[in-house]
Order: sequence, then structure tokens, then C-alpha cells
Amino acid sequence: MPATSRTYWLTTPCRLRRQDDSIRVERDGHPPTFLPIEDVRDIIAAAEVDLNTSMMSLLNKHRIQIHILGYYGDYAGSFLPAETAVSGTVALNQMRLASDDEHALPIARALIDNAAFNIRWVIDRKLLTRSYGVLKESIAEATTREQLMAAEGNFRRNAWEALDTKLPDWLQLDGRSRRPPRNAGNAVISYINGILYARILSALRLTPLHTGIAFLHATMQRHRHSLALDLAEVFKPLFAERILIRLANRRQLKPQHFDINTNQAMLSESGRKLIVQTVRDDLAETVKHRTLGRNVSYDELIYLDALALTRTCLEGSTYAPFRVWW
Amino acid sequence: MITADDVGGVHVKYLYHCPRQLWLYARGFRPEHLNDAVQLGTAVHELSYSRFSPVDLGAATLDHLDNQLWVHEIKHSAKRREADRAQARHYCHQLVRIGVDVQGAVLHYRNPRKTERFPYTDDEHQKATEDIDRVLDIVAQAESPPKLGRTSCRGCSYLDYCWSQ
Repeated sequence: MPATSRTYWLTTPCRLRRQDDSIRVERDGHPPTFLPIEDVRDIIAAAEVDLNTSMMSLLNKHRIQIHILGYYGDYAGSFLPAETAVSGTVALNQMRLASDDEHALPIARALIDNAAFNIRWVIDRKLLTRSYGVLKESIAEATTREQLMAAEGNFRRNAWEALDTKLPDWLQLDGRSRRPPRNAGNAVISYINGILYARILSALRLTPLHTGIAFLHATMQRHRHSLALDLAEVFKPLFAERILIRLANRRQLKPQHFDINTNQAMLSESGRKLIVQTVRDDLAETVKHRTLGRNVSYDELIYLDALALTRTCLEGSTYAPFRVWW
Repeated sequence: MITADDVGGVHVKYLYHCPRQLWLYARGFRPEHLNDAVQLGTAVHELSYSRFSPVDLGAATLDHLDNQLWVHEIKHSAKRREADRAQARHYCHQLVRIGVDVQGAVLHYRNPRKTERFPYTDDEHQKATEDIDRVLDIVAQAESPPKLGRTSCRGCSYLDYCWSQ
């Protein structure tokens, strides 16, 4: 992944225009700012954004993606430049692996196992020991994707309950709810998951993998990029749950970061800014990689995981999804 | 898989660098544009040697062909590599194949501003033909060739792919 370019985050409503070969960002009450095109890898628009055709062609020429988050912070869509990293061999093999349960199930099982491992690491090792044991047993026995997903659902429910014990009353989840999230805690988790989904999609687009062909999630669901959902499983806890716990413990999240109605909650503008900044800083966090022998950012871990999956599709190596090792 | 006509300069270059890299490249996995060094190389290439005009041979593109029919190739590294020679030799071979009577290749080493000339002899022709066969052999293998030693992978754009376990 090129170290010279980076992700840009838009947190206030703005208009993007093309001026020569730069992006001109216009915001109400501010002088325009410029983003040099070579510096941009992708853009995540967490607020209202206006775009036009010449902007799109500039983005396409430089292979820049723009991901748009909706009103509730859910993933609303992306502008993806024309596919450039295509490999017929990879796509064919990926399809072959995904459509044959004999190959797809071990991958799905590994995804769920490592996701649960990461959740347990983030929330509480002790509280979740039993549920993790149960999960391990049931995924070993599962013979279909649906059974795997059901086992994962059970573990997740226990994990949400364990998570609630770590949070102050007003941030507790009381069960996960989406579209729209019912309370403050759910709003934070949904928002971070939306951002993460966009980041994973960016990473996948750098590899020849087909984002529509998945190993765990059903390929026929309403989501177009099911493979991004697969990878998200293992990365969600590292960001969503972890950041929520941290912000709660440090008392950084305040009621004014939310707009709460009777039956739904969403982040206010200041809340969005806080979350976006936290996620951005976390993505830049580095750990020493065991086999590469250098420091890699969390952001790069996502890309490396996508590469590992490419390796599975290209050479048939066993896929070991991301698992916290530090 | 590819035929002898599809073998380009990059295939031959990778043959000398690392067979595994060649195997992956031929299967359409090409992460080069993500590599900082490659990006820098492309930028430098665009800015220097403006009098050169690239010649497109279909599978291969060479940097310049002068009036005396010498093939010119620009190299950004100061180090003389067998891979560079092989690549230039391959271009000569391709030109001869379509009926151009090339003299040989000139390698421009940009950093020390030195050039080296290699006349295209029968011996060179023989080597170029063998290289193409070797490329086809490696690409046709069902299993990917093994990795090189860790130190020889330094700077390779496939490093993250091969070494992130």
C-alpha cells in the first residue's frame, strides 16, 4: 500500500470541485482548501457532499474511491473507479472456492473463530471464556453457512451483554439494533462499522479479489460487497467495540454527542467528528508485524488480510484471517 | 496461458529477478503500482529523456529506437543487472522477429549517467530464444515457485504478498 498517499475524511458538509489537477473543497464560511491529487488514496464523506462529473473523472484517473456515509452514519454507497487490478485467474479460483462448501466452510469457520477471539480479547477474556468454548464446539459441528452464522449470533449476543457490564448506563446497548440504531451505544457501533466497511472495500479494491463473492455471508443478500462484510467480521471488534469502551472509560463521550429521539439515536455533528478522529487515529496506530519485520498500521493490516485471501485464491494456501497477536 | 507472442519485457525481467514473481505476474496479480519505488520510477521516467519516443510492440514497449536501429532502455538503478540485459535482448529479439534489422541495445544508467552497448549477435539471439521458452515453462507450472531468500526480496513490490503470513 503506498505510504505516500492517505485517506481524507470529510466531516462537514462541502462541495468538491476540480481545479486543474487538484481537488478544491468549498465549505460555507471558510476559504476553499485544496487537496493535491497525488496525496489522496481515498475519501470518506461522513457529511453531505456535492460532486460533479469533472470531479468524478479526476478521481477515476487517479484511481481514487469516495465512500459516502448516510444520515444515520450507515454506509450509503461509493464511487469506485474503473476496475484496474483485475485477474481472471483469481476471480475464477475465488468463485470455485466460494461455491464449493468443502473449501468455503473452512474459510467461513476461520473467520468466525478469529472474529470471536478478537471480540473476547477486546471485551473480557474471563467473562466470555464459556461462550467462546461453546462457539468453538458448535462451529466445528456446523455443516452449513447458516449454522455457522447462527452459532456466531449466539456468541455475539453474549458478547453484547458482557459489553454492557463495561459501559455506563446511558451508553449500554440493550441488544444490538440497526437502521436506525435505538440508543447511543448502538449509534456509535453502527457508525464505526460503516466507516470500517468503506475502508475494507478500499483495501479489497487494491487486490484482484471480486468484492461480490463471499465465503461466509450469502452472496445473494442485499449488500453488494459481501466479501467486505466477511473481512469486517474480524476487524470490527478491534475498532467498534474497542473504541466505544475506551471513549466511555475516559468519559470522552458525552450526551451532547448524540441526538436521541424516543426510538432512535444518532451522532450529532460534534459526535461524528470525535468518532471520525478517533477511528482515523486508530487506523494509523502501528504494531510490529511478525513476518514482515516492520511496523504496520492497523489500516495496512486490513490490506494484508486482503492479500492473504488473494494468496488463498491464487495459490491455494490456507487462509488465516486476522487475529490479534499483541 | 500465454504463448510465445505474449511474452513481454517484464516477463523476461521477472524471469531473472524471481520465478515466483513471474508466475504471479502472468496470472494477472500486479501490485506494482502500489510500490513507492515504482511510483517514483514512473514519475522520473516521465520527466527525463524527453527526446525518447516509446515504441509499442504489442506485448512489449521499449523506451526508444534510434535511426541507426539501436534499442535504448533507461534504467534508474545504478546497479548493472543481468535482468536489464535480458530485457533489452528480448526487445531486439522481438524486433528481429518482425523484420527490423536491429544493431543491438543501449542501456542508459540514469544515476551515474553511463551507457552500455550490447551488439545483437547470434549468440544473443540464441539466449533470447531460450529465455522465452523458460518464461513459458515457469508460467505453465501448476504450483507457484518457492520464495527466494528473505534478503533478496528487499524492495520487491510482491514482498507484502509473499511474506505476510
